[in-house]
Amino acid sequence: MLYLIELWESVREFIATGGGVLYFVAVALFLMWILMIEKYWFLASVYPKMKSDIIAKWEARTDTTSWYAHRIRDTWISEATEILDARMLTIKTLVAMCPLIGLLGTVTGMITVFETMATQGTGNPRLMADGISMATIPTMAGMVAALSGVFFSTRLDAKVKMAKAKLVDSLPHH
Amino acid sequence: MNKFIKSAAIAATMALTAGIATTANANQLDDLLQKIKADRVSVAKLDKAREQEFLSARADKQALLNKAKAELAQENERNARLTKQFADNETTLTNKEAELEAAKGDLGEMFGVVRRASSNAYGRIATSVVSAQYPGREDVLNKLANAKEIPVLSELEELWFALQTEMTESGKVASFEAEITNLDGTKSSANVTRIGSFNLVSSDIGYLNYNDEQGLIQPLGKQPDGAIVGTVAPFTANSAGYAPLFIDPSKGQILKLETQKATLEERFHQGGTVGYVITAVLILGLLIALERLIYLGATGAKIRAQLKNTAQPNPNNPLGRLLQVYNDNKDVDAESLELKLDEAILRETPKVERGINIIKIFAAIAPLLGLLGTVVGMIGTFQSITLYGTGDPKIMAGDISMALVTTAMGLIAALPLILIHSIVATRGKQIFHVLDEQAAGIVAEIAEKEKH
Repeated sequence: MLYLIELWESVREFIATGGGVLYFVAVALFLMWILMIEKYWFLASVYPKMKSDIIAKWEARTDTTSWYAHRIRDTWISEATEILDARMLTIKTLVAMCPLIGLLGTVTGMITVFETMATQGTGNPRLMADGISMATIPTMAGMVAALSGVFFSTRLDAKVKMAKAKLVDSLPHH
Repeated sequence: MNKFIKSAAIAATMALTAGIATTANANQLDDLLQKIKADRVSVAKLDKAREQEFLSARADKQALLNKAKAELAQENERNARLTKQFADNETTLTNKEAELEAAKGDLGEMFGVVRRASSNAYGRIATSVVSAQYPGREDVLNKLANAKEIPVLSELEELWFALQTEMTESGKVASFEAEITNLDGTKSSANVTRIGSFNLVSSDIGYLNYNDEQGLIQPLGKQPDGAIVGTVAPFTANSAGYAPLFIDPSKGQILKLETQKATLEERFHQGGTVGYVITAVLILGLLIALERLIYLGATGAKIRAQLKNTAQPNPNNPLGRLLQVYNDNKDVDAESLELKLDEAILRETPKVERGINIIKIFAAIAPLLGLLGTVVGMIGTFQSITLYGTGDPKIMAGDISMALVTTAMGLIAALPLILIHSIVATRGKQIFHVLDEQAAGIVAEIAEKEKH
């Protein structure tokens, strides 16, 4: 419990020095990971059953070579692809957005620095350091958030593509 | 002839006159001789008399000289006496001063302490917000601080009384009626609450500033954030117990700094023309996205309803219109049907995909516009450096803030546009997939069912 309190305290201190932009980074990071975990879970436990259902339905068909059969097969593949692809674009967008949010933090931090310079002059570097930490910490946070997402989202993308290809392969024309 | 006679007459006259003068001169000289002889006797007499006079005067002067010499001697003697007296007095004075210093003793030290203490207290009490409630306390302190003579007992009492008042009042929250000088110069009366020696607040106005130079209570030029001012009214309305309130521990300095900070609106206007263009891009992009979301949402719902009921095509949605094409061409062969379906899909897709790319373009334009603003601002900065040099950072700060504000605005505009584009694009793609890849299959399923 004490450890958790200490952890929370350090998080609060981090956000206090980094400024409000960190909240946006946190929201983006949270959403990104929720969506990615959901996708991993979907690929691991929901999709195999869906795939085997489609294959079973295809195997049960007597006609698999006519125009109608081809169109029906395309439809099933398309439906499965749609479910597989759902939210993948959002995940990629969130990954791309993280450094941008960090950049926004940099700019707002620099605005604070120059505002301090405008009202207080350059005499006191401690006053400016406040804005500079607000400029650099969100950049770092945005980078870390994006890096944490880039690897897993790329893996996820590859997995989805493999799943699609395997599904197409498992529906042969008899 | 006439002329000759005239000159002859003149010559005769002259000769006559000369004869007379010669006899007269001889008489006068004799007289003179006689006179000189007589005078010689009288002058000798006169000299005798004068000599006599001088001789007598010499005796007088000798007497005077003697007298003056006597006087000089007397004065010299007095001088010596007075000099000695002066020296004696000087010694006495020194002794007496030493005696006085000895007699003052600790009192002089105390005087210094009183002066120092009262000048310190003057600075503190004159600027304190307690003086807004009890004006005029600093006068006696000012007098004490600048006094040349030793303070009397009553003044010393005033000093500690002032210090004690400040100390006691700084621990109190007090309400009092006071005259407030508004920023436009008008005066109004209001109930002012003083929190110790920290801040003055009023429920209607918020935080107040005490102008110690003129002894006026003034509202701040700009109140701090709404969340901070919002605690004032509940605090002043509270009659018992505790209520939260933001106070400025620096006794007004932080509040004054706060007034120099730019509000969000001022920041927005710092962006200049480029900033307004970015805002326009954001608003336009959001409007397009909103229209797309509504259209795609409605179309998607209609398509889902149609998917549940493929038997009765409804012409209010793209899928229904595709099914209608099949219904109209039930007896044609598969290839012709596919061509007809493709044709219908080509008609439907532009309606679905319209506008989605514009959002993407806007999302890409916004940071570029921000970059443009940065460059414009930096050009302004360097121009002001050319004009005024780098001596005063405050001159450069205006253009730099423009540069940074536009960058920030570009990012702020781009982020929601990117996110909303991904949402709209996903929705559009879903509908497009239904039309392009699944519609033919749905038609095929219906056809198969009808055959069997």
